[in-house]
Amino acid sequence: MMLSTTTVGSFPKPGYLLKARAQYSRGELNKNDLYELEKKATQEVIKLQEKVGLDILVDGEMYRGDMVTFFAENMEGFRISGLVRSYGNRYYRKPIVVGKVKRLKPITIGYFAFAQSLTSKPVKGMLTGPYTMAEWSFNEYYGRKEDLVLDLAEAVRGEAEELEGAGAKWIQIDEPAISTRPEEIELAIKALGVVTAHLRAKTVTHICYGEFEKIYPKLLELPVDQVDLELANSNYDLLELFRRHPFTKEIGLGVIDVHSHLIETKEEVKEGLRKALEVLSPQQITVDPDCGLKTRTWEESQAKLQVMVEATKEVREELEGRLKE
Amino acid sequence: MIATAVGNYPKIPNSPGEPKLRRAIAKFEREEISEENLKRIEDEVTKDVLAEQVRAGLDLLTDGQIRWEDGQIYFARKIGGFSIDGLIRYFDTNTYYRQPVVEGKVEWKEPIGFRDYGFAQGLAEKPVKPVITGPYTLARLSQNSFYPSFEELVMDLASALNREALSLQGADPPWIQFDEPAILKHKEDFPLFERAMNVLTSNLKVKTSLYTWFGDLEGLYPQLFRLPFDLFGLDLVRGRGSFELIEEIPEGKGLGLGIVDARNTKLESGRELVEIIKRVSQIVPPGRLHINPSCGLEYLPREIAYQKLALVAQAASQAEEVIR
Repeated sequence: MMLSTTTVGSFPKPGYLLKARAQYSRGELNKNDLYELEKKATQEVIKLQEKVGLDILVDGEMYRGDMVTFFAENMEGFRISGLVRSYGNRYYRKPIVVGKVKRLKPITIGYFAFAQSLTSKPVKGMLTGPYTMAEWSFNEYYGRKEDLVLDLAEAVRGEAEELEGAGAKWIQIDEPAISTRPEEIELAIKALGVVTAHLRAKTVTHICYGEFEKIYPKLLELPVDQVDLELANSNYDLLELFRRHPFTKEIGLGVIDVHSHLIETKEEVKEGLRKALEVLSPQQITVDPDCGLKTRTWEESQAKLQVMVEATKEVREELEGRLKE
Repeated sequence: MIATAVGNYPKIPNSPGEPKLRRAIAKFEREEISEENLKRIEDEVTKDVLAEQVRAGLDLLTDGQIRWEDGQIYFARKIGGFSIDGLIRYFDTNTYYRQPVVEGKVEWKEPIGFRDYGFAQGLAEKPVKPVITGPYTLARLSQNSFYPSFEELVMDLASALNREALSLQGADPPWIQFDEPAILKHKEDFPLFERAMNVLTSNLKVKTSLYTWFGDLEGLYPQLFRLPFDLFGLDLVRGRGSFELIEEIPEGKGLGLGIVDARNTKLESGRELVEIIKRVSQIVPPGRLHINPSCGLEYLPREIAYQKLALVAQAASQAEEVIR
């Protein structure tokens, strides 16, 4: 289908889950009880996405704190450090690489399988990419960054292949750090190649807005089917780059600004889509928000997605009408 | 030789330490405590952070920028002409800040850091230096929706921040530090940068330093050293290349050696640090060297930040002995 709709991955955690996570970290709640609440929240996330009418779903990452720390906690070779400020009054525990990195056990498979069991629509398997894992950890062990990145690539490959085995038709490997260091994009490409080499599932990577002019069109060499990008919060400026050098992959087109409380209007989203369709083909595009929704409220997330789905539907109908004529 | 910090310091300790400030801010946001109460906690934490720096062995302190949400907003909120927009990444880090948007003519209206500086200076057992984010970096990290050209914005900010520096000079600090990391990413702008730095430092009698980080001086050497500052702070971790570049610096000028990595938890070997200082002291007399981390320490957990400062202080005092 042209102009399928999806999301980038995270959803806001319901209040009861936030509370439970805090209790768990203080040792006041056991792992099983937390897991039950994570499952409850996952059910709600799936239900919301079905209600809104999205085509490709996510599990909402109810089990994750930080996108790097979560995976690091579940691999060998990492220790979790103290709190580091991310912005404002928000802190996270940044991992430290203290030994050779290895994946010892499945990390997201159970969560994926549970989410997929709740719906007949495809649920994306969601992973953090090796380059970003390395870039956003402290490194006290590896002398060469490349060795760390490639060991991480092996670890993520194992998880990705097992996700595919568990039935994932879409696997997203997020690499937001790629755009922060243009000079290292070759390494990121090489590492992602290790992860996706044997996958038959559709592969996606999400990259946040950074020094984009410096990594484009090089970025088209990333060994995935689809590159997911933020368009809305940069006023669709990236389209100018695509005009100069065609975008040759599928694109996850971010049309919703996830950092703003304001709900976009249907017209705004439609206008963005029409603009994008001047330089991209409808078959190339999957429509989604700019980034994960975890910093929005539940109500804002639902309202924003509703607008996105309706706007996409109308543009799709316009296109189909034009085809019939 | 002076052991010093570059700027910010982690705002909360890890358990069993108490994250006082984090809790206070959360309560303030929920309107459970007054602004006055929040200020009192900020004062308390600033006091702790000053004491920690002294305990680590530093000779010249900062106030840890405990009250700063980030290096941009602290100034943009009080300089006229700015509004504050959404989150954006700070250079290549995994840290974010709310981007200032220039919506009108930027103008210095009131002292920004004077009260905070006075508070720290009054409490600390060692000299404290105030820090100002420079006009070029502030302009680069903001979005310009008002000025027809970037140059005009930079020059107006230079005037505004010059007034801020003059106001701080009134408190009689030993140094004023200006932060300009962004110039390392846009070296082609040096002519504009030089004009701005001349305006920024005009009529200042106090000793001034210019700190940069996240890069090396390739393309800025030797001209950077002709700028009107007494000392130049370099990130020699992410800008290791600067070591090979610098053959000499003008008579009377000093260097701030950022040789302890403020972005990685791994602790440096003290012996290697001393070796580096020894090498540099053949170019710059040890009396004109400041030894410090590569940038602000907020990228690290508090306890490791402390260890990094202790390393800085030990390396400085050992190097001094060896050189003597």
